[in-house]
Amino acid sequence: MNAPIIDPLQGDFPEVIEEYLEHGVIKCVAFNHRGSLLAAGCADGGCVIFDFETRGIAKEIRDIDCSAAITSVSWSKYGHRLLVSAADKSLTLWDVSTGEKIARTILQQTPLQARLNPGLTSPSLCLACPLSSAPMIVDFDIDCTTLLPVAVPEMPDVLAPPQRSKCPESNPPFSPAAACFNKCGDLVYIGNSKGEILVIDYKSVRVLALVPVSGAAPVKNIVFSRNGQYLLTNSHDRTIRIYENLLPAKNVLKSLEDLGKNIDGIDDGVEKLKTVGSKCLTLFREFQDSVTKMHWKAPCFSGDGEWVVGGSACKGEHKIYIWDRAGHLVKILEGPKEALIDLAWHPVHPIIVSVSLAGLVYIWAKDYTENWSAFAPDFKELEENEEYVEREDEFDLIPETEKVKVLDVNEDEEVDIETVEKDAFSDSDTSVEELRYLPAEPIPDTNDQQDNLVESIKLVEGQISASPASEEAVQNGHGADHVLSPQGEELGDTRGKRKRKPSEKAMELQAEKAKPSKGSGRTVRAKSRAGIDQEIDDSVNDADDDDDDASYY
Amino acid sequence: MAEEVPATTATASFTPYVHSQTLTTHERAVSSVKFSSDGRLLASASADKTLRTYTINTDGDPIVEPAREFSGHEYGISDVAFSSDARFIASASDDKTLKLWDVETGSLIKTLIGHTNYAFCVNFNPQSNMIVSGSFDETVRIWDVTTGKCLKVLPAHSDPVTAVDFNRDGSLIVSSSYDGLCRIWDAGTGHCIKTLIDDENPPVSFVRFSPNGKFILVGTLDNTLRLWNISSAKFLKTYTGHVNSQYCVSSAFSVTNGKRIVSGSEDNCVYMWELNSRKLLQKLEGHTEPVMTVACHPTENLIASGSLDKSVKIWTQKKD
Repeated sequence: MNAPIIDPLQGDFPEVIEEYLEHGVIKCVAFNHRGSLLAAGCADGGCVIFDFETRGIAKEIRDIDCSAAITSVSWSKYGHRLLVSAADKSLTLWDVSTGEKIARTILQQTPLQARLNPGLTSPSLCLACPLSSAPMIVDFDIDCTTLLPVAVPEMPDVLAPPQRSKCPESNPPFSPAAACFNKCGDLVYIGNSKGEILVIDYKSVRVLALVPVSGAAPVKNIVFSRNGQYLLTNSHDRTIRIYENLLPAKNVLKSLEDLGKNIDGIDDGVEKLKTVGSKCLTLFREFQDSVTKMHWKAPCFSGDGEWVVGGSACKGEHKIYIWDRAGHLVKILEGPKEALIDLAWHPVHPIIVSVSLAGLVYIWAKDYTENWSAFAPDFKELEENEEYVEREDEFDLIPETEKVKVLDVNEDEEVDIETVEKDAFSDSDTSVEELRYLPAEPIPDTNDQQDNLVESIKLVEGQISASPASEEAVQNGHGADHVLSPQGEELGDTRGKRKRKPSEKAMELQAEKAKPSKGSGRTVRAKSRAGIDQEIDDSVNDADDDDDDASYY
Repeated sequence: MAEEVPATTATASFTPYVHSQTLTTHERAVSSVKFSSDGRLLASASADKTLRTYTINTDGDPIVEPAREFSGHEYGISDVAFSSDARFIASASDDKTLKLWDVETGSLIKTLIGHTNYAFCVNFNPQSNMIVSGSFDETVRIWDVTTGKCLKVLPAHSDPVTAVDFNRDGSLIVSSSYDGLCRIWDAGTGHCIKTLIDDENPPVSFVRFSPNGKFILVGTLDNTLRLWNISSAKFLKTYTGHVNSQYCVSSAFSVTNGKRIVSGSEDNCVYMWELNSRKLLQKLEGHTEPVMTVACHPTENLIASGSLDKSVKIWTQKKD
C-alpha cells in the first residue's frame, strides 16, 4: 500500500512540532470532548489538566494515597468526571470542577486502560482492561466488578453465564484483550487474543455477535471513531484494520436482537454469532508498513474520522504515521529520538499530541504559512506570475468620471445582531451543561516581584539579550516550598520573564538568529527548579512568537 | 435633562432615558466605564490613576453606589474590563502595564508587563482565561490570566491600537487602530484572518463585536459610526449626528429594550440611535465636557457614561 504520498499542502493534518508541555513524567493523555482541556497522567500518581488554549495548567488532581504511575485517563462525555487508573491496581473517579474524589476501587490486577461509559452524562460505570485477564465492567455506584467474556464457548448454548468468579475462563495467562464502548455506551466491543471482535451487551453479559479478524492475530487495540461510524483494530500481525459500523446509532441493542431473530435456519452457536457479526461490521481497509513491518502503538482516528494515525512502537524512534481513510499514507511525522508511548488527536483542530518516553507531551500542528491577503484585502495572492496586457485606454485620464463613487449599500435592510446559530460542531445533546473550561485562577505576584517591576520595565525597554541584572540572584534565593509550586514557576520564570518580553525589534532579531525548524517549544513548568537552564529560557523567547515576528512588516 | 428628538414615524413605544445619578468619585477625567456581565457591578477607569467599582441595586429604582477603589498604577488608566464571573478586573494604563485586580478585596493580583508604550485597551475572553490588550506600541498582546505570561504578540497595526474585543465564543479578536484598519484575528493561533478597510481610511477610534459575533461596530474619527458585516467585509449601517474627531469615544449595543446603538460624543451628549432604522432617538444632555465612554447594562434599561468632566452619569428609563 505504498501509494504516492498526497500533497501535504492539501491535507488537514499536523506537520511540525509546535511546542511541548512538561509536568513531571507524563504517561498518558486524553482530550475532553471539545479539546479545550487535556488531561495527563503522570508517573508519580498525580494527574494534571492543561488548558489547551493557553497551554497552561488549569488544575492538578492528586490522590495522597496513590503514588503509583497512572496508566490511563478518561473523560466523561461532558467533561465533568475523570477516570484515572494507576499501576497500584486502583481506579479512581474524580469530579473535575471541584477536584474531589468521587469513588475509588482496587482491582485484582493493574488496569492498563480504563474508559468511562460515553453514553451517560455522569457515568459511574466504566470499562477496565487489565494486563492479564478479561476486560471488566466496574460499577462504582454498586461497587461491583463484572468480568466480560473474551471467547465464545464452542457449545450450542450461546448465553455464557455471568462471570463473577475471579479466574478468567479458558484464557492463556498473558493475553490482554482490548475493549471499548461504542458511541452511545450500550455495547462493548472486545478484541481478543484469537483475533476476533466480540460484540457484547454488558448489562446481560451476553455475546451478541462475533466478527473474525482476518489474520487471526491477537488484537492489541480497538478504538471507535468519534462519530461511531468506524472502528479500528490494531493486531499483533502489525496491521491496523478499519471496519465500518453498520449498526444504527440509536437503539442498537434492539437492532441486534432483531438481527438475531431474523436469521433462520442456522443453528445457535458460533455460526449464528458470526452471521450477526457480519451485519455489524465490515472490513473497510487495512494499513501496514510493508517496508519496515513495524508494530503500531496507540492508533486512533482524527476528530472527523477522515484520518487514521498510528505511532510506531519501535524503541528509540518517535514516528507517527498518518493515513487517509482511503488507505493512502499521507505523512510520517518524526519527532525527537524518544520512544512514543501515547497519542491523541484533537477532537476539532488538526493537532496531534504525542507522549514520549521521557514524559514530554509534544504538540504537533500545521505549519502555517502567512496569508498575506488577510492583511491587505485588495491584494490577491497569485500562484505564479501572470502576464497582464492592459487595455488601450486603461490608463487614460478621464477626470470627470473618476470622482464618481456609487454608494450601493442598502442601509435599510434589517440587521440581526443577536441571533446565534446552533453550534454545528456539537454532536451531543445541548441540554446538558458541558464543562469546557476550568476557571482561571491568577497566581498572585509576590512582593519581590512587584518591587522589581520598575526595574523590569526599564530592562524591557533597554537591551534584551543582555543578561538580566543582579536582581536575579535575589530571586533565585526564593525556592518554592511545595512541589506543585505555581509560585516556583512564577519566581523561576521571573528571570526568564524579563527576557521573555522584549520589544518587537528584539524579538524579531532573536527569531532570525535562532530559528529551530521543529520546536523547542515553550516550557510550562510547575515543579520548581532552582537551576533553570539558560537555554530553555532562551528558547522560550522566540519559539512561540516565531511566526508572528518573522512576518512583522 | 434629556431632550427628545421630535418623532415623525411610530416611535411611540420609545420611552426616553432620563438622568438618574451623577457619581463624582474621580479626580480627573473618566476614560472608561464597564458593567459586569451579571449586571451587579459597574467599573470606571480614570486619568487619576485609579479604578473604582460601584454596586448596582436594581430593586425599585436602580441605585448605584461606590464600592471600592483600586490604586497602584503609576499613570492614568485608559481602559478597564471585567472577567466573565466578575471576580477580577483588568486595567490598561499609561505606565505600559496591565494590572489584574481582585474585585472583592480590591487588591492587586498581577501585573502584566510587556508593552513598550501606553497600554490603551483591554478585554477578557468569555472563558476568562485570556486577556487581550492593545497599545500605542502598535501591537496586540494576548496574555494568560493564570500565569500572567504573554502568550502571543500580534503585529497588528502601524499606528496605535485603539480597541480590542473578543467575540462571544472567544475564537476571534478584533482590533482597530489609527491607521484606519480593523483586523480580525484567530485567538487560538494569532493569525490574521481578515482586514476591513473602506476606500477612505479615517483613523478608527473604537471597535467591538455585536452580541452574536457576526458584526462589528466601528467608530471613526470622521464623526461616523458604522456597522460592518465581517464575512462580507462591507458595512451595512451608518450612524451620524454626533461629534467624534479627536478622542477615542466608545459606543455600545443596547439590547434590553429594542436594538439600539449608544455612543458618546465630543459635544457633551450621549447619542442613541435605533439600530435598523438608524434614526437618532435621543440625545442625553448633562455632561459639561466630551463624553468619552458609554456602557449599557446587560439586563436593565440602564446606561452609564463617563466624561472628561470627571463624572460618571447614570441614565435610566423614565417610569410612567
